[in-house]
Amino acid sequence: MWAAAAVGSGIFVLLGYFIDYEVILTLRLILMRWSVLLAAVALFLGLFNLLTVHWSKVSEQEKGWPFSALLILAFLVTLIMGLVFGPDNQISLLLFNYIQLPVEAGLMALLAVFLAVAGFRLVSRRRDPFSLIFVVVALFVLLGTGPTLGASDGDGYVLLRQLRNWIAQVWASGGARGILLGVALGAGLTGLRVLLAVDRPYGD
Amino acid sequence: MLGSIDIVGLLVLLLFLGLLLGFAAVGRNWPTVFRPVPGFEELGTAIECAVEAGERVHLSLGTGSVIGSDSAPALAGLAMLSRVASVTTMSDKPVVVTAGDGAMTMLAQETLRSAYQQAKVGERYRRTSGRMLGPTPLSYVASLPILIASEDVSVHILAGSFGAEGALAADFGERQHAFVIAGTDDAQSQALLYVTAEYPMIGEEIFAGGAYLNVGPLHRASLRAQDAVRMLIVVLILTGTVLRALGVIL
Repeated sequence: MWAAAAVGSGIFVLLGYFIDYEVILTLRLILMRWSVLLAAVALFLGLFNLLTVHWSKVSEQEKGWPFSALLILAFLVTLIMGLVFGPDNQISLLLFNYIQLPVEAGLMALLAVFLAVAGFRLVSRRRDPFSLIFVVVALFVLLGTGPTLGASDGDGYVLLRQLRNWIAQVWASGGARGILLGVALGAGLTGLRVLLAVDRPYGD
Repeated sequence: MLGSIDIVGLLVLLLFLGLLLGFAAVGRNWPTVFRPVPGFEELGTAIECAVEAGERVHLSLGTGSVIGSDSAPALAGLAMLSRVASVTTMSDKPVVVTAGDGAMTMLAQETLRSAYQQAKVGERYRRTSGRMLGPTPLSYVASLPILIASEDVSVHILAGSFGAEGALAADFGERQHAFVIAGTDDAQSQALLYVTAEYPMIGEEIFAGGAYLNVGPLHRASLRAQDAVRMLIVVLILTGTVLRALGVIL
């Protein structure tokens, strides 16, 4: 039954992209609105799942349970603040601007360090021509993009910038288009498998 | 009232459908030949080792949502999950799957439940095996190190939609010396995963996971259909290039 409902809904939504027929378009719009509503409900269920998992970790004193306790505390404080004072209140904004935003920005800043270390690890672990080309190209693009310590109008730097542009606009763009074509084909066929009920992530 | 019909779009859709069903029909007499992909070749052994050692397999469906345009790689990840889950059902530590979206978490839970029921061990299924780690990309990734460490994860599969945070997700697995195989649909994120993951899935390899893990004949057929359409596109591009170079088309 679930499969029939999913396949029927999927076919109507898909046909709405190809056929300009009022009944199909209206039905597609209704189904899309339902999906947005259901996704919002699913978010609540997901958050409940998050709380359940961490609550069981705390109650059974599993490894790392203090982190779970901290998460539950932060979750409840944020939720209560949001419900009582509203999302645009000064206290809610303070929580967002001075706790969540700096933590996320800090994590993102770590990415540069992680990538530099991973670059060295790549050369030592995967010793093949592709890895070498990858690292050399990454270095060229990095040097050609960043600010220079010397004169920015020197011949060497101009040549480096030209080389960087040639790599980025010719080789990288061409390769990326090839990858995107492959991804689009794969995504299309994955969707078709779900539409034909070959893959049934919604259950049997 | 009937308006315009996108004939080309419908024809492409019918082409995909025809190739998919056609290759599925001839699949028994014409076995699929797989190109070697090191990650998929090693994955089976890594999962067996994890099950033997009483360690956990973790599959991440990424931070994309079900209703967004970034759901396709996670759907491919769910196809892989059905196979991985059936292999690990009898393990002391069965597979744990995480997502950054509530609806995706529910789909993961249903996929796990189906896999357990098909393996006739439905009573071993736990709803908490499918988890939502965090509603934003970075809160999701920030939760991963604790999960990997506390659950003794030794196989870390990333198959879903990731932005730059995917590199962090893969690196956290590497730091725990886990077997890391990672793929996504975004070309820039794939470049980051190429550096951080031991076994990156490049291009559309993430969508071939079901076929390589032997999920079913239609997965192999879809891989063949994908290759056939790709060859068609290559021929069209080359023909267009030659015709334009000769001045036949402007």
